Amino acid sequence: MADMSDEEHGTAGETGDLALNRQLEASLREIGIPPRPRILELIIIEARAGEPDFNYLAELIQADVALAAGLVKVANSPFFGYRQKTRNVRDALLMLGLRVAANAVAGLILRRVFPPSVQLERFWDASQRTGELAAWLVKRLGVRYGVGAEDAYTFGLFRDCGIPVMMRRFSGYAQVLARANEDSERPFTAVEEAELPTNHAVVGGLMAQSWWLPEPICTAIRRHHERAVLTDLDAGGPAGRQVALAQLAEKLHQDSSGLNRSHEWDKLGAASLAVLGLDGGAEMAELETEAKEFLAHLAMAL
Amino acid sequence: MSVVTLPQDDLGAGDWLTGLADRGGCVARLTSLLSELPIRDRLPAVLWLDIDRFRQINNSFGYVVGDSVLVELCRRLERSRPPQSTLARVGGDEFVLILPNASGHEAERIAHKLVGAVHQRLSIGTTRMRPSASVGVALGQPDEDANELLERAERAMAEAKREGGGRVSLAADALLPARDGKYLAREELAVEETLHRALEIGGLYLDYQPIVRVTDGVTVAAEALMRCRVDGEILPPGRFIPVAEKTGLISHLGDWCLVTAAEFVSRMQGHGTALKVAVNVSRVQLQNRSFAKSLHGVLAYTGIQPGRIELEITESLFMDPSEVVKGNIRAALAAGFPLAIDDFGTGYSSLACLKDLPAAKLKLDRAFVVDLPVDRRAFGVARAVAGLAADLGMEVVAEGVETAAQLQLLGEAGINEVQGFHIARPMNEGDLIEWLS
Repeated sequence: MADMSDEEHGTAGETGDLALNRQLEASLREIGIPPRPRILELIIIEARAGEPDFNYLAELIQADVALAAGLVKVANSPFFGYRQKTRNVRDALLMLGLRVAANAVAGLILRRVFPPSVQLERFWDASQRTGELAAWLVKRLGVRYGVGAEDAYTFGLFRDCGIPVMMRRFSGYAQVLARANEDSERPFTAVEEAELPTNHAVVGGLMAQSWWLPEPICTAIRRHHERAVLTDLDAGGPAGRQVALAQLAEKLHQDSSGLNRSHEWDKLGAASLAVLGLDGGAEMAELETEAKEFLAHLAMAL
Repeated sequence: MSVVTLPQDDLGAGDWLTGLADRGGCVARLTSLLSELPIRDRLPAVLWLDIDRFRQINNSFGYVVGDSVLVELCRRLERSRPPQSTLARVGGDEFVLILPNASGHEAERIAHKLVGAVHQRLSIGTTRMRPSASVGVALGQPDEDANELLERAERAMAEAKREGGGRVSLAADALLPARDGKYLAREELAVEETLHRALEIGGLYLDYQPIVRVTDGVTVAAEALMRCRVDGEILPPGRFIPVAEKTGLISHLGDWCLVTAAEFVSRMQGHGTALKVAVNVSRVQLQNRSFAKSLHGVLAYTGIQPGRIELEITESLFMDPSEVVKGNIRAALAAGFPLAIDDFGTGYSSLACLKDLPAAKLKLDRAFVVDLPVDRRAFGVARAVAGLAADLGMEVVAEGVETAAQLQLLGEAGINEVQGFHIARPMNEGDLIEWLS
């Protein structure tokens, strides 16, 4: 249950009625919506006003210690490559700008809106690695179609956020997911759609829209299993670039960790490399070596 | 590829290395295009491309290799440029591409294509490299001469270089108001830009207008209305919706509207209030094959009952012969979403078709309300529609109710529900919650 989303309902301390809050929690769980974080809403309302009050926003974020620490860490992270370092939330906000800060906050809160479980933790860890590697790839391959390291990171985090939603909504979804992973012919989402009225990419895209992620990221989430987004560059543009970066990032992570449970690289790998202007031979081997070093470096930093 | 109005050969002596036009030829071509302005509705765009770190190539490998690299890059640019464009070499490692007729988006897309072409791996003898380029894009302004336009493009290129190279930067240009419709395309571009910014910073939001039952004044639903606000300024829907429709952004906006309204319903449910929200569905959405997936996606994401979201579809769309549109309407109905016929009475549908439409509600257009109570014939129409709808088992909502007299007459005519300034103006979520309590 997300702490940040509960502000509008009052706190347990205020009402003194824990049981009521539990009921609320249960009812929300029943409704099953991952609530759009209130803090995100407040940032967006400030941004919309024209003259955002950074002191006020910093205060709001500081009230959540983990969020504040996370945001400062993001601002100082080597993926984003800001030269100056910051220790406080206000400077982090000023450095990142409201749009990037809002995305970073969304990324930090994402894990919390779903009930925690070991499986889900592993899932989010993998998403995070994909995001980090995709951001690293942008540093390595350059910014194209306006897709910067921050965007690649956010996309990596949110790309599969529809999966936990589907898990809560459709019983037996885990089996559908397994079948989609095993299918070497059909597009991943086609396997889902054969059994369900929608798919995780559509649901994830909607969730990203509801969380005010930028339109190219939402579009990329919605279309990330479509080959056309990679092959039809004119239509794809930033979305194609995003999908290709994350696909390669995932492949690099899987190769270095030895985990590979899907056929996505077989289906989309060649098209992704073409979008990124890479050949599959020596260049790829070079990238793999560097990615391993980068991941080792990340593991050391943790 | 040749230049249509002015062959590449005519653009001055040209460049000895690449055979391209030089700076003089480039200025001549632009001047000619700008002078045609009164008979053209679009201004030319200029792309200024500079090879990143080219001096390093010359220094490391010598001028012979440097020149070969230039010739190869020139060949790539030639292959990547559109047919009616003009390519010139205006400096050692600087190129200009002139597009006689391009929107900002097209120009940007072509710029990215050039950057991509330059960035492909290059082998000269045993030397392998991956060159990159920075591009500045400037769109012509009506009172600008060739040199000013080139200068803006060059400055934008310098900006792209400052950001690290290998990228595209757009020149800032003053946004022009529509003058006699002549530069309307440009105004639309400005609206499109604002819309993109709105999507980036959460500048889109929904207001809600209550729909009230005539007999007891109870609020039975609220219509969600899309709003756009950027930097404190509000862009009216009449300006941004048509642009969103033209640019295809409307699908994104439509989905956003659906999910945002559904979340609101879900939040209200959390507060113990069962509210129904009406959402407008556009033609572009209904023409999209994945519309049904979006509808089911919204249900999966928010967990609300489909009966809580009423889809408002104009009568002309109900009559649309396209199989995709028909299929989407059937799918919405099968998923359990109630449908309403929006702006009823303004299209060309025949009453005979009404009995076949799968709608539970009919929204009588404001055109039939505005003349009440003066025009007795308008009253007659309202009463006839109410009677017909009742016989068909449909509810009728009257839109645009602005006076107490109108409200009373509509009640007498047998209209079930009303919506309009007399009842309540569109309001934000917080105010609606207050209104409901």
